[in-house]
Amino acid sequence: MSESKFEAISSLVDNYQATDQESEQAIDEILKDEHLSKTWQNYHLIGDVIRDEIPAALQLDLSAQIADALQDEPTVLAPNRVENKKPNNFKAKVVQLVKPLGQLAIAASAAGLMIIGVQQNVADNNEIITPNQIVQTKPLAGFANPVSFNYQQPVKAQKQVALEQRIEQQRRFQALLSDHQQQIKLSAAPVSKNTNAESQSDILLDNQLEKKKIN
Amino acid sequence: MKFLLFRSPLIQSFLIFFIGLLTSFSALSTAVENDNAKLSFERLSVALRELNFSTSFVVVKNNQAEPYHWLHGLTKALKNGNQTELEILALLNGPRRDILRIDETVSYIEPEYAPYSIISPYISGPIPAVFGQDVSVLDNNYHFVSVGKSRVLGRVAQLIRIVPKDTHRFGYWVWLDQQSGLLLKLAVITRKGKLLEQIQFTHLDITDNLSEHLKQLQATDLPKVIDSSSKPEESELAWRVNWLPNGFKQIKSNIHRINSSKQAVEFMLFNDGLVDLSVYVNPSKDEQRAIEFAHDGATLVLNQVINNVEVSVVGKVPVATAKKIVNSVRFVSDPRTP
Repeated sequence: MSESKFEAISSLVDNYQATDQESEQAIDEILKDEHLSKTWQNYHLIGDVIRDEIPAALQLDLSAQIADALQDEPTVLAPNRVENKKPNNFKAKVVQLVKPLGQLAIAASAAGLMIIGVQQNVADNNEIITPNQIVQTKPLAGFANPVSFNYQQPVKAQKQVALEQRIEQQRRFQALLSDHQQQIKLSAAPVSKNTNAESQSDILLDNQLEKKKIN
Repeated sequence: MKFLLFRSPLIQSFLIFFIGLLTSFSALSTAVENDNAKLSFERLSVALRELNFSTSFVVVKNNQAEPYHWLHGLTKALKNGNQTELEILALLNGPRRDILRIDETVSYIEPEYAPYSIISPYISGPIPAVFGQDVSVLDNNYHFVSVGKSRVLGRVAQLIRIVPKDTHRFGYWVWLDQQSGLLLKLAVITRKGKLLEQIQFTHLDITDNLSEHLKQLQATDLPKVIDSSSKPEESELAWRVNWLPNGFKQIKSNIHRINSSKQAVEFMLFNDGLVDLSVYVNPSKDEQRAIEFAHDGATLVLNQVINNVEVSVVGKVPVATAKKIVNSVRFVSDPRTP
């Protein structure tokens, strides 16, 4: 590990490099060498500390954590054991159609976070005072009223609670919406033939899900 | 003097005849329009089942656009005349959601579950399944009105409005291709004419032969069909929905867990041929909660909590309808039951 490499990193971190070629070379080396990339991170950290830009909670190596998290992810979402036993022609053959089975892991974690952009309307007969109305009771005059200062904490706490309720509500709505769509799919079987079949398929899907969890 | 004129019996009878003629003529013309509209839908349903087409569309709702790719085709007839129907519907943005269909086996590839298949003659996507079938099931609750021609996707399109006969549901405007009979645009509209959600086709290819994707699908073994051979008891639930708009029939009822929240719910699904409506009942940790609702395009999610029981309604219906439904849910043992 030559001193010049560290120097190159240092100048890269400071956004100073003689030529493009040199910086490209340096970046290539950083990417190849774990030790160098660690140095790169440390230099940045030092820079952040000097500029007083460190976050409240210091995450020294986020990339490692993400990698760990990703490693855990596929276990949850791997197809259940029953499927693994049989040679799955389906996967092999529809490669082009259903290629990203590996992507499913990412997709599912994204789906978990999805919250619909609903225009939320609280019903007209809702008589609960909303936090907004409380905020509006702040003095209208240009200067801060010492009395209103005392009320700021409870208002904030209430705001926080309201926000949590909103998020909770969004989750509830999103869950209902997805389930509604799922139930429609499962009910698509001809009604005349077998009306009871779907509840069975629900149970099966439930089981499938449970199995996934266990795996 | 003028009144005198009307008193003349001859003129009176002429007037009555004239008015009669006028009303019968207008009734006749709407009937003709209705028939034309129905014929177009019959053509659509045949086109959806028999044409080889490759098409793209976007679902526009909540200021967002969801792009889809939709392919359909029939294989060449075998000696015994058998043809295989193939269909693919793929969501192009975000987590992968594909629906594959070979005849009556429909497979769903979704992030939430391992791939699975069910037996069904149609796929369940953004386009109402009834369009591929006989729309006369909607006759009791909707009018079909042929409105006129316009240009959609660079083609001559015929606009047909599906108008609900009561105030409890939404209207649908459907633009159909004059040449092929296929769908070009679809809009869900409130009674007051507000647009809630629309599907706009962005590309349409009709071919003689199967596309490569469909050929590939034909050679595919679909995932395992979810076994429905053993029939559990139909879930007898301890509550009833006492009011629904005319024509909504119960499709199923069960007790299941909601996938994302793991909440156990009692569930009923209703359908009027065009609109699906879900009703959920489950215990809640809250004691009371006033009615809350949110829209996802035309789909409404509405719920309230009374005495620790949460009742929710989901479906493409107006708020007033959903409120009425939520308030009509009663436990069977409830003394308030009428």
